[in-house]
Amino acid sequence: MNEAERSTTPAALPGPRGRKRGRVLRATFGCNPNSSSLGVDVTFLLFGATFASALALFLGALLRRPRSSAQPVKPEAMKPLA
Amino acid sequence: MKLPLPLPILRARAEHFGGIVELARPRALLHVDRAMMRNLGEPESALWEGPDDGPDAQVSAKPLRAPTEVHVVLSRRCAAGCKGCYVDATPQGAALSLDEARSILDDLAAMGVFHVALGGGEALELDYLFAVADHARKVGIVPNLTTSGLGLDEATARRCAVFGQINVSIDGVGAAYQRARGFDGYHHAERALRFLRAVKPEVGVNCVVSRSSFGELHAVARLVRKLRLNELELLRFKPVGRGALPELRAEELTPEQGRAIYPLARKLMWRHRIRVKLDCSFAPMVFFHQPSPEAAAFFGVQGCVGGDVLAAVTPEGFLTGCSFAGRAEADARIPGEMQKAWPHAFGEFRDFARRAPEPCASCSYLSLCNGGCRAVANAHGKFFAPDPGCPRVQAHAAQAAEAGKTRHALPVIA
Repeated sequence: MNEAERSTTPAALPGPRGRKRGRVLRATFGCNPNSSSLGVDVTFLLFGATFASALALFLGALLRRPRSSAQPVKPEAMKPLA
Repeated sequence: MKLPLPLPILRARAEHFGGIVELARPRALLHVDRAMMRNLGEPESALWEGPDDGPDAQVSAKPLRAPTEVHVVLSRRCAAGCKGCYVDATPQGAALSLDEARSILDDLAAMGVFHVALGGGEALELDYLFAVADHARKVGIVPNLTTSGLGLDEATARRCAVFGQINVSIDGVGAAYQRARGFDGYHHAERALRFLRAVKPEVGVNCVVSRSSFGELHAVARLVRKLRLNELELLRFKPVGRGALPELRAEELTPEQGRAIYPLARKLMWRHRIRVKLDCSFAPMVFFHQPSPEAAAFFGVQGCVGGDVLAAVTPEGFLTGCSFAGRAEADARIPGEMQKAWPHAFGEFRDFARRAPEPCASCSYLSLCNGGCRAVANAHGKFFAPDPGCPRVQAHAAQAAEAGKTRHALPVIA
């Protein structure tokens, strides 16, 4: 992560139980059908760093929401690839 | 859009900085840090070396453990004969067999690849295209498709629901299409868009931006708006394949057009209220306008990501860093070869930022831009040179010429 990336999102603050909550560092939306379109989504780039920072916090909060064990998942879902 | 809560995670893949999480809705790939991976219940990874806030945990510390997406060029086979075809496709061109394609997808899935871009040639001319797409889904990879749309009927469009994003190549509207492609196929392409849009919302247009088509982009944007498509992808003309023929080389953007493309893309977005994307080879032209580096980093706005975020498999079965350039690093048809090659291959792509010559070395966007497009640089004579279409490179070359330092002049597009 370069200097720019580090300053995008606030520091990973400890959660209520003293555990670091974690951060979203990067977000890319949609799927790319091309050989070379991993480039510039003008739509998002227009909104600047403040929007990126707010979106990082928002997505992080949504990701951390408790997941119900009864939530339907696809067979491959949640299967770690590491 | 109503967000499902909590966000449905399809897959998570560990990386040295933490991991990459694939969301189903909204369709997204999120890079998250190690703490977030732990919070999501993912197991500790052997990749997580050193302290969580140490240098080894930075995204840019090393390449990804696998690409997030791979362009699988299924064939060099296409009957259309577009005059600037990047893969020099012909009706009898080489193609991967169904078994080879399946085996490659199995390997990519084992590596943790999230998306594949299926293309050609004209992938729809292959009678096993949908078997390939079904197999990709089966192994957990999202298949996406680029097509000319020629010959696509309603029944075929319905089968295309299996794909994630489908883009139809339209380089101009009406007569402008014929001028760009060399034949009158516009009405077929537009009809294909209508059929596809009736089946799914994730349908867009690919538009190659060349010197002569630069002025036609508003018409293409209007079409995207009219058909309620979800994106317009502007792709820089590259002098590769048949695009390298002498009569087409002059189609590269002029320096003025290069400087104007980012403001024009913003204008298209605002005026026509559509999503506009520029391909990675446009990165130098975007960074010339000094957008927020923080926002660019967060939204994955990067220049050359070959051999890192992106890789390609050629119709001959070889793994390359990019479908436009780069040497063959492995025989993708041999199971396990891609995974074995990945960690140590692609030095020609990955080392650019570390060894960048001027004016890239002193550019504050170097870590994002990575020197622009290697394919274009290669087409101008040197794979490792700065992108000759970059406005900053062009200004640097002009200054050097003025100062009389032309002994090692950089190639630039005039």
